[in-house]
Amino acid sequence: MLEIQDLNVSYGEFQALFGVSLTVAEKETVITVGPNGAGKSTLLKTVSGLLRPRSGNITFLGKRIEGLPAHVIVDMGITHVPEGGRLFPYLTVLENLKIGSYLPRARSESGKILNEIYQLFPILDERKKQLADTMSGGERQMLAIARCLMSRPKLILLDEPSSGLAPRVVSRVLEFVHTIKSQGYAILMVEQNVRKALRLSDRAYLMESGRVHKEGTQQSFFEDPYIKKAYIGL
Amino acid sequence: MFDLLMNAAINGLLLGGVLALLAFGMNLIFGVIKIIHMAYGQCVMLGMYFVYTLVTFLGLPILLACLLTLPLMGVIGMGLQMFVINPLLRAKANPLTQLLALAGLTIVIENLAQVIWGADLRGINIQLPLISFGNVFLRTSNLIAFFGALLTLWGLYMFLNRTYVGLAIRSIAQDVDSSRLMGINPQAIYYVTMAAGGVLTGVIAAFFSPIYAVHPHFGGSFTMMAFIIVVLGGMGNMLGGFIGAFVIGLVTSLSAALTSTEIADILALVIFIAVILIRPQGLLGIRVSK
Repeated sequence: MLEIQDLNVSYGEFQALFGVSLTVAEKETVITVGPNGAGKSTLLKTVSGLLRPRSGNITFLGKRIEGLPAHVIVDMGITHVPEGGRLFPYLTVLENLKIGSYLPRARSESGKILNEIYQLFPILDERKKQLADTMSGGERQMLAIARCLMSRPKLILLDEPSSGLAPRVVSRVLEFVHTIKSQGYAILMVEQNVRKALRLSDRAYLMESGRVHKEGTQQSFFEDPYIKKAYIGL
Repeated sequence: MFDLLMNAAINGLLLGGVLALLAFGMNLIFGVIKIIHMAYGQCVMLGMYFVYTLVTFLGLPILLACLLTLPLMGVIGMGLQMFVINPLLRAKANPLTQLLALAGLTIVIENLAQVIWGADLRGINIQLPLISFGNVFLRTSNLIAFFGALLTLWGLYMFLNRTYVGLAIRSIAQDVDSSRLMGINPQAIYYVTMAAGGVLTGVIAAFFSPIYAVHPHFGGSFTMMAFIIVVLGGMGNMLGGFIGAFVIGLVTSLSAALTSTEIADILALVIFIAVILIRPQGLLGIRVSK
């Protein structure tokens, strides 16, 4: 579904990604782990069109998308939940959800999708009149994920959904990610919380200093001595 | 003396309505595009010249001339986006460069107006009746402007709160990148905003036309007034701008009645400086820490 080949991305003089290649298949959950500054967020931002790559290809459903503007890429079915959720703080919960279905193709279905989301996540229905700014960290993260579902995506890019959350809340957010996974969406997730995130994944990548160092199944990651030592802490 | 002050206060409040509209337009453009439209009053002036020309030279009825001015000013707003603001955004110009470019635009518009319409006062000839309550006299044109301004503000409020495009405008004002991820094209929203801001200058021009005669330097004081109100209310704060408009309307009108219009302008600027010194975030603004 998503194929990234030999991607190079720079911020001015500083190169953040070096020849990164990665794939995500239909309905697959892929997780990318690695330390801070490994280029994981840069990778997601380049796929969603917030950054332009210096070279390399990104193919989504058979179409080349690298360098297209972000609003065009969303319309093709890739949605990106940036780190921290990046909600609109002075819009209400309902308005945040509504703006998620801004695309004309999603707008006509907006009422229907909204109902599905309220089913999945009743608290958003209860709080719909509240400003997004007044929600707790975990609720905000879940609202951010729910908002991205409003665009009827095929692939969801999740950037550290657990960042800055208390351990108990992390589990709840990741449970929510699991619910979404079971609905058949393809997910590419970047996560620091390696052990919990790996359990959700079908396949995983290890990134360090802008390069992919390992690719494999969930099992192979749990068994890898280096990953066990450096990231899982067993 | 009491009657004089009463008259001044009421006219100040009525003027406040239109000033609120002016400040709203400047605030909207600042909130969305992050550019201070220093030629906003000059656009109002241009709109008044259009009304004048359509009435005087084409012989159109005043109401029709006003209605035609609205889309005309909307197109001019989009033209400014295309030829002035977009090049600045593309060049990632710093705020000082942006300010200078728009200040330059005021000179262009004012001199263009002088070349086309001359330096004399131009006005449409219309006498609307005075309404009196005891010793307080209200000009019908001021009343129309006041209620028209409130109606326009309500319409804008509905547009921003009840439509997808309005929601997109508010989103862009809060977080551009996040808005792009929602499928919003910022460029399109910038054009919509400048068009709406332009139509708004047309609306203000229509309300001003029966009240004031226009001359090439008419816009300057209104740009200044709008800017003072926006700063007083807190940059980008719509409610603050609304309240600020009435404060400034009242203060300038009362001080003009008590002293002279020149003193009133000075007082407005003194308020401006005081706000910047004492409460730079404005009446309702949020302090931003860096």
